Amino acid sequence: MNLFQSLVVSLFVVLSLLTLSAGLRGTVRKRIVGFWLAVWVVGSVAVVWPHTTAMVAHSLGIGRGADLLLYSTALVMIVAFFYVYTRFRRVERQLTLLVRRLAIQNAELSGHGGIPSSQPPRRSE
Amino acid sequence: MRPIALEQARVYIVVAAYNEAASIGDVVRELREQYAHVIVVDDGSVDVTGDLALAAGATVLTHLINRGQGAALQTGLTYALNQGADYIVTFDADGQHDVADIARLLAPIAEGTVHAALGSRFLERRTRMPLGRRVTLFLAVLFMRFTARARLTDAHNGLRAFSRHAAEHIDLQLDRMAHASEIVDQIVSSGLPYVEVPVQVRYTDYSLRKGQRNTAAFRVAFDYLMARLLR
Repeated sequence: MNLFQSLVVSLFVVLSLLTLSAGLRGTVRKRIVGFWLAVWVVGSVAVVWPHTTAMVAHSLGIGRGADLLLYSTALVMIVAFFYVYTRFRRVERQLTLLVRRLAIQNAELSGHGGIPSSQPPRRSE
Repeated sequence: MRPIALEQARVYIVVAAYNEAASIGDVVRELREQYAHVIVVDDGSVDVTGDLALAAGATVLTHLINRGQGAALQTGLTYALNQGADYIVTFDADGQHDVADIARLLAPIAEGTVHAALGSRFLERRTRMPLGRRVTLFLAVLFMRFTARARLTDAHNGLRAFSRHAAEHIDLQLDRMAHASEIVDQIVSSGLPYVEVPVQVRYTDYSLRKGQRNTAAFRVAFDYLMARLLR
């Protein structure tokens, strides 16, 4: 193994151990632990035996291993962007409902002559 | 549902305001001359918008942080419904609307012919506006025709009136400016009858500076389409 390979593999070993310990402590779900372990293992294999990526690429009809990496990175980025985007929307929505609830409650408590109501904002799917 | 005559109806005016200290006082005073219930939703303003609105005689609801005009309008609508409003009118805070137009919007609702009346600057050629704005709004109307199948002449006018029944069908999820399309969407899909009513919009230097840039339309379209996609 050259210097780059040993550095990356030792980093992945450390990350695997961290992932495992998080899984054992129960802070991360089993499925997620499995996913990350797979990422570290596949990463190590690809770094130590670079021709394996080329083999996989060829079997998919892609010319070079590096291209396979590029395409899969782009794909992962798109999925990740979507995941974060939907998450973000959900948090924004919750924040709005909270701010609204406070605004209405404060107005009703300070008694602007209305009928007090503890009704939450309607129909929040 | 029997409509309620205007004289007996509890009419609530909802104004969403964000940093509108320059105009909110006059707007509220003008509204209060004719309408008892004026609700200003202070959408996290950093200036004295809330104080001025209160001093001018409005009920002020305060968003502790800025959530956008759609969010503020929904807060006002929900509050007005909680208070027992019969008719609810949305009105812009920058002084571009004419208080006299409110009665014109409420008339068809009080007659019982429709449940929602949407203001339009294009039904009559009363409004003078910059060409860029006219083109942007025309494209917006086309957009709404495709996405919401709503045949409107002006999709994005802040002056609207709703019966209680119609307001109960509105549940704005889009916090920013795309709510204008969302309101139309929800009214159309509720199946309730609606009408467009010609209104005046005063384009002052202030309202143009405070208002949306024409390019904001892209953001609006993106928000709206993503929401439809992810619904």
